[in-house]
Amino acid sequence: MMLKLGVFELTDCGGCALNILFLYEKLFDLLEFYEIKEFHMASSFKEHDTLDIAIVTGSVSTQRDLDLLHYARNHSNYLIALGTCATHGDVQASVEGKIRDKLEKVYGTKANPMKALDSTPIVQHVAVDYAMPGCPYDKDEIYQVLMNLAKGIEPPTKDYPLCVECKLNEYECVLVKRGIPCLGPITLGGCNAICVKSQLGCIGCRGPIPKEANPASEFEILKELGYDEEYLRRKFKTFARGELRW
Amino acid sequence: MNIEIEAFTRVEGNGGAEILIENGEVKDVKVKIFEGPRFFELLTLGRHYWDVPDLEARICAICYLSHSVASVLGIERALGVNVPEEITLLRELGLLGELIESHALHLYLLVAPDLFGYADAIRMASKHGEVVKEGITIKAFGNYIRELLGGREIHGINIKPGGFGRYPTIEELEQIESQCEALLRPARRVVNIFAEQEPLGATVQHYIATNEYLYGDKLIAEDGEKFDYLEHIEEKTLPYSFAKQSRYKGNIFMVGALPRVMLKHDMLTPMAKHFYEEHKEKLASGYVSFNNLAQAIELLYALEKAKEVAKTLLDKGIEGENVPIEPQEGEGIGYVEAPRGVLVHHYRIDEKGNIAYSNIITPTAFNHGIMELSLYEEARKRYGSSDETTFLQKLEETVRAFDPCISCSVHIVRL
Ligand code: SF4
Ligand code: SF4
Repeated sequence: MMLKLGVFELTDCGGCALNILFLYEKLFDLLEFYEIKEFHMASSFKEHDTLDIAIVTGSVSTQRDLDLLHYARNHSNYLIALGTCATHGDVQASVEGKIRDKLEKVYGTKANPMKALDSTPIVQHVAVDYAMPGCPYDKDEIYQVLMNLAKGIEPPTKDYPLCVECKLNEYECVLVKRGIPCLGPITLGGCNAICVKSQLGCIGCRGPIPKEANPASEFEILKELGYDEEYLRRKFKTFARGELRW
Repeated sequence: MNIEIEAFTRVEGNGGAEILIENGEVKDVKVKIFEGPRFFELLTLGRHYWDVPDLEARICAICYLSHSVASVLGIERALGVNVPEEITLLRELGLLGELIESHALHLYLLVAPDLFGYADAIRMASKHGEVVKEGITIKAFGNYIRELLGGREIHGINIKPGGFGRYPTIEELEQIESQCEALLRPARRVVNIFAEQEPLGATVQHYIATNEYLYGDKLIAEDGEKFDYLEHIEEKTLPYSFAKQSRYKGNIFMVGALPRVMLKHDMLTPMAKHFYEEHKEKLASGYVSFNNLAQAIELLYALEKAKEVAKTLLDKGIEGENVPIEPQEGEGIGYVEAPRGVLVHHYRIDEKGNIAYSNIITPTAFNHGIMELSLYEEARKRYGSSDETTFLQKLEETVRAFDPCISCSVHIVRL
């Protein structure tokens, strides 16, 4: 039997929804198991129906986002929070200040006719069945998860730091060898250390590893390398709001 | 009575429209951008210039690389950095890859279903699998270039002030050169498909583009005079939209593929120019839907040009040296042609190298005015004479012609 799938997009860059289309031919493999009932970036087709799986991308940044999220939750059996916007709030959630002050700075008025809210991840508002971070996530990962679910298997979650993937790829450690601020040691792996492949430091777009992250020691190491505290504070919270404490 | 388009589909981001009807006549149309604000200018304030292009990339996924490059250009101008030709060419190659990726996505997967009468490309694939497949192949190739130069298909961090993290190898450049050649044939076909589109929306009176084909140090309009955006462009806030609206010398204008081919057809590559000549009259009529035809011509341009750039780089060889940068106070503007049109990144940097001011204007924000006008004219023309389904369908098609990218339109600020 075909599973009914919906893709819902809250406030975001569109990347996590787009990345599904970037599966190319593999998307057609998925379509042997799934029927898409809603995916406004890709289709004008829409059916109000109960879904087996709802994928939600983006952060809650307006009342409309919140309503749409509740709709998706109430109409689905299994909800996937997809991408760092959905799991951690992403960059928009790291902008400090009250929403009215931010609106005033940008639009010159405190009025809020469009009902903007302070950006928060969806996991803060509803129970999710599976959370996959990444800005954007690795597209093969979502493919595997959807394939697993189609076969009735609960998909595994990743829990190791990015450094593991760096070692597996035998990339030179940019932190130790070149003193580049790399968040690899405290960031959740799963992207195959793609930024380190470019000889650049990980900026932490997959968010912190859930349990074992040791931001305090990472913070100390980087401070010793000469980076100032304010710089590091901002860098640490870019994708993870206040989650990384030290 | 009002007619509501709840949410545009097959566009990136969240937006809709309200059509106000009074005494049986279309009185007004409002394009509502209800994608929430993401406050990018506030996000970058106080951040070190080195990290900023990676953050700005997150404004939009479809054209992340344009944002990275515009950001890097603004920062380099503020810091007085000049890069050698090699780096400029590699950036251009990245932008061409993005043009290929974005135009292929839009034309084949988002607009073609309108022409063939389907709700989406997936459904269209059952009868027209070849077209969809060709589209996917071209798009994947554009993404390959983006990944190579930008570091990832989406939100790569390889494009840096002063150069790149990693430089492409000779083999990778050869790969680009040969692929471009192979894809020219299917790309020619897409021009013919889009030459058949009907005129929709308003007719454009003013075009704006950058002075070079894909980036520049200034903007130009029909008169060819170079200017900085602050000189002739004004922005205003709207109560029903998170995107602001811009005017050029007080007038509504358009940015994007149609303005580019109209203002810069002299710079097109041979095959693209040939098709421009063939469809010149149609394009010059200025109907906004012919933006899609212009995109198809640009798809050819991008493939021909990427091949040429790759060849130039192969002939010269890759040095792979970044330009060292000393932080200093300064101000700079980066102008890039994102696939959807002019993109502006404007920064002031303090003596420590931190961002003290930033302003970003995106193509969809520039186009917000002409988009509203187009919907208004199309709605006036059709109201009462088309049935409701066709009426709404044509309005959606009109909006889609712009290839609007709503998530990127909402971050427009002057602090
Ligand atoms: S997580 Fe990143 S890629 Fe995904 S929607 Fe958010 S900003 Fe875009
Ligand atoms: S290396 Fe870090 S910043 Fe780059 S994709 Fe992976 S998690 Fe994101």
